[in-house]
Amino acid sequence: MTAEPIRKLIVLAAIWIVLLLAPFWMVPLGGYTALATRVLVLGLAAMSLNFLLGFTGVLSFGHAAYFGLGAYGAGLTLKYLALSTPLAVVAGMLLGGLCGAILGMLLVRRRGVYFAMVTIAFGQVFYYIAFQWSSLTGGDDGLRGFSRQPLDLGLIKLDILTDANNFYYFVLFCFALAVGVMGFILRSPFGRTMIAIRENERRSRFLGIPVERHIWIAFTLSCFFMGFAGALYALVNNFADPRGLHYSQSGDFVMMAVMGGMRSFWGPLLGAAVFVVLQDYLSSITVNWMSFVGLLFILVVLFFPRGLLGFFQRSKA
Amino acid sequence: MMTQLLLFNVTNGLIIGAFYVLMALGLSLILNLSNVINFAHGGFLVIGGYIAYAISPYVGFWGALLLAPLLTAVIGLAVERVLIRPLYGRDPLYSLLLTFGLAFMIEDGTRFIFGPQGKPVAIPAFLAQPLSNELFFITGYRLFMVAVVFVAVALLFLLLRYTRLGVRIRAGTLDLETVAALGINVRMLRSLNFAVGIFLAGLSGVLAAGQLGLEPTMGTGLLMPSFIAIIVGGIGSLPGTLAGGLLIGVASGVTAVFFPAASEAVIYVMMAVILLTRPRGLFGEEGMMS
Amino acid sequence: MNVLEIDNVTKRFGNLVAVRDVSLNVAQGELCAIIGPNGAGKTTFFNLISGFFPPTSGTITFDGRDITKLATHERVARGMARTFQITEIFPELTVFENVRIAAEVAGGYRLRPWINRAEAAKVAQHVEATLNLVALETKNDRLVGELAHGDQRAAEIAMALALKPHLLLLDEPTAGMGDQETFQITQLIRRLHRDSKYSIVLIEHDMRVVFHLADRICVLDQGRMLAQGTPQEIAANETVQAAYLGNAA
Repeated sequence: MTAEPIRKLIVLAAIWIVLLLAPFWMVPLGGYTALATRVLVLGLAAMSLNFLLGFTGVLSFGHAAYFGLGAYGAGLTLKYLALSTPLAVVAGMLLGGLCGAILGMLLVRRRGVYFAMVTIAFGQVFYYIAFQWSSLTGGDDGLRGFSRQPLDLGLIKLDILTDANNFYYFVLFCFALAVGVMGFILRSPFGRTMIAIRENERRSRFLGIPVERHIWIAFTLSCFFMGFAGALYALVNNFADPRGLHYSQSGDFVMMAVMGGMRSFWGPLLGAAVFVVLQDYLSSITVNWMSFVGLLFILVVLFFPRGLLGFFQRSKA
Repeated sequence: MMTQLLLFNVTNGLIIGAFYVLMALGLSLILNLSNVINFAHGGFLVIGGYIAYAISPYVGFWGALLLAPLLTAVIGLAVERVLIRPLYGRDPLYSLLLTFGLAFMIEDGTRFIFGPQGKPVAIPAFLAQPLSNELFFITGYRLFMVAVVFVAVALLFLLLRYTRLGVRIRAGTLDLETVAALGINVRMLRSLNFAVGIFLAGLSGVLAAGQLGLEPTMGTGLLMPSFIAIIVGGIGSLPGTLAGGLLIGVASGVTAVFFPAASEAVIYVMMAVILLTRPRGLFGEEGMMS
Repeated sequence: MNVLEIDNVTKRFGNLVAVRDVSLNVAQGELCAIIGPNGAGKTTFFNLISGFFPPTSGTITFDGRDITKLATHERVARGMARTFQITEIFPELTVFENVRIAAEVAGGYRLRPWINRAEAAKVAQHVEATLNLVALETKNDRLVGELAHGDQRAAEIAMALALKPHLLLLDEPTAGMGDQETFQITQLIRRLHRDSKYSIVLIEHDMRVVFHLADRICVLDQGRMLAQGTPQEIAANETVQAAYLGNAA
């Protein structure tokens, strides 16, 4: 029994070493730092979704909406309110989280496919708003005219706009914060009730857990994380895209979680890496990359539903 | 003038509503019996349209009207058998993801085969004429579409009420386990139910092709309203879906008179209202929540 | 003092009356068995007590307070714990983890994003003690889904016990068990009743178990309470014999 915690520690250390050194090992492999940044942010989004999907067992298929809200929140803050990167990130997180909190209240009585349908429809409402309210959001063209501002760390000013590596480490820092909180919550008594609800909702209810309330809390938390990721994503390209709110983006996030392994904490990050690299590669070699992505969805669902990390696991928080 | 404008938009709304109804009913059938959200439903609409386009030089418009939905249903049967059947016991997440990927493939596939431009589908000349100068917006074709939808929906309800298949589908929607215990072949039932749903999608495609013009993305625009028609009308209830589709179609049409930009938003607003005031939908059953 | 008072409770599903005008009082420390033929309404009755759905009419009082309108988790919080005919557990978690969740809810920690060492130790102690009570302490790191049926049921009972309940509701605890496992569970329930002094209401089909354990037996038939009394009284009751016991030992 003492081998297990040590093994976990080694795996954790390995993951962080890989992430910390990414700008250095990516280049020789033909990658580039901005790609790593993108993977990190999308991986965080997938992990945020998985907080709900994999760990609570709740099928939210419109979660990209909160990601997109985070992006617009950050962009709008930088464009109109204040030239502060941290403020933009917080604003995005709050926008995504608060909308999730409110909508979550309408959702929590439903389950299964009904729940999924309503989350999809809700997500589309936000897409529609982003599209139509073009005076504010830039409509179809997306929100531009803002950029990530240098970080004022007291003694030094960190240029994250032109220096890709600096930005990567900033994002990695944010990622570490978010992931740390997420892991912390999952290991807590509350986190255990989430897993209980996933494992057997009826039994959870009959243990005295107010299931709807706990699902709402989990939903809201995951939306805060989602908004946080979205805000970072807006900073990646200095651009907020209405397509980031569309249900196809939601589908992508779910696929990342499934591909990496829904029952594993780090699975979605791995899934995001594979998905992003694959999609980039496919779109560069064929104009019909959409068919291949669709085929990927089908193949994973039919043959590989437990995902890459699903092999090694029995579930344990 | 105002009345004519209103009439124009209400009629438009009814026609759009009829489309929503046709699509939403197919989606609802599949959802109710098999617990599958068919994201590819719009894709089957497109397939129906393109098949009609491909065969109408040989069988004419009327032949295409009858054959294209049938052929689409056959394709639907194959898809169900090979791709969806393995997923029935599992979390609904997987069938959702699968139909999602399928939708991608269909959209891209039709674009690959037929090209991204819209394709014309010829409709009989006599249908293209408007009824009168006053009611210029009621062309024969539009009436015809509504008539076809009406007939199709009537036939569907007759099928469900009076045929053995229909009775089994209804029973299966309520309690699939008992139906299975009674010795009925549930796999066949699901397949046939799926085929009926896809037939309706294919039919929508043929009709849409004549009216909107045929291009690979035409299905996606109808998918969300179909969802909302089901949510508003009540999950698990086909009459509800019918009502929901008409309601949001008309609401959309009428709103177009006063706030043209908001005509799409209004259906989202309706969904929100229903979820707040009567979450099970207009005709939904209590306890149909999961 | 009565821990549970059920007063003229009726449950209607449309035109079907599943439970009709049933009254029952359970005293502190009493073990009451509910028996009756299939379809008699026993499980519906249990569902009414545990808050699965509300009664159409009638009241339910628990520990002196009216709980008729309360939701399931609220009743559990008041001290009612239930097991199910088909074991409801967390199959992919260990025995320890299963019971820990119950213990944490009982300890008031369910909304906590953290738990300090002292609290965690207390919880662990509580879990160990409960597992000892059901004789599963040697299996606490096994996945519940992999256990034998009898052990799964014991684990489920442990989860119920970890909630520190005032009343245990056991729905056919020996369902689907062979003689060996039936004996194991019956002994466990007997210990809980005699030694730990729990108030227990259970549904059972196995008459040997019922007559071995019960202080009082209630017979339901077609939604109605046919008879109530001590095992001797029920065994001698002719109506009950005709309707249900038949040739039973």
